Amino acid sequence: MDAVGPADPALGKWRTFADAVALALGANLWVALVLLPGLVSGALHSGPAQLTAILPLVVLGIGVWRRSDLVLLLGYPAALLVPVAFAPGMANVHVYGPIRFAIVAIGLVGYLLGASVFTSFREPPPPMAERPLSSAARPMAARWRRRFRIYAVLTALSAVFPLALLYTINFDNEVRELIKVKYAGRITPFTTVLNLGAVGFWVAIYAGFFLGVLRRHRTGDRDLVTSLERLKRETRRARPRPQFYLGVALALGLMLVLLLTRGG
Amino acid sequence: MRRYFFEILALCLMGGSIVFFVECIHYLARREYVGAIIVMFIGLAVISVGREMARLALVQKD
Repeated sequence: MDAVGPADPALGKWRTFADAVALALGANLWVALVLLPGLVSGALHSGPAQLTAILPLVVLGIGVWRRSDLVLLLGYPAALLVPVAFAPGMANVHVYGPIRFAIVAIGLVGYLLGASVFTSFREPPPPMAERPLSSAARPMAARWRRRFRIYAVLTALSAVFPLALLYTINFDNEVRELIKVKYAGRITPFTTVLNLGAVGFWVAIYAGFFLGVLRRHRTGDRDLVTSLERLKRETRRARPRPQFYLGVALALGLMLVLLLTRGG
Repeated sequence: MRRYFFEILALCLMGGSIVFFVECIHYLARREYVGAIIVMFIGLAVISVGREMARLALVQKD
């Protein structure tokens, strides 16, 4: 993320606002996901547990200070799982009723959307002169409105899918009863596997299906697409590079070694 | 008009596929693994059709 120069005080205004929003949304998520469940379940009484509970705030602070998309959108949500991993009781279904689950889910989605939107501000230096483009006066083309609609729907589905699956696994009465009956003694491990499976399944679906729709439109620049198509054609015609033969030889050789060692 | 049809159809199919995935969880809870796999593949098929509809909506000419 670009740093704001000290010589342009006006440039820092929006950045400061974005930092404040990211900090507030992140702190709200920390309270909902770590602090309150920790206090309710009594998991934050020991020193190490308290240290792990503070870790996400440190990561959030670093992310806001560095204005790093990676830290804010990946590092901080991942750091929130550390205290939960140390004290799994914090994520107990009894701590998380359906209402609390909804609050935490809204907080998480709000944080991710807010952080991704507000940290994307790029404020260019003020121009020396301005001249309005003729295209700027025209209304937005129908194809762009259509694309934005599709993007909005996909964004909404990105939140709805995992939430619906996780809710069904953890709070649907029929599913909970069936798991109790059919997986007696293994309720917690099976629920954990289902939760992880649902998240992994959704990531695979998102990468395979949803991003598939957007792939061509993410690189919609005509010159770039033409260049990529030309490169693809050239690659298709070209012979394999030496790395290919090296890889095949290495794989076959290692398989032979494996067979010989196992056979011996 | 057709592009709106594609958009609505894409939304219905993509959104509707979640029903199959939820049902897949129900099958898993009942330990009916074959049924769960079948329902999961139905959901994948539905969502893939929805994806195609979304793609068609995006490539429609104005």
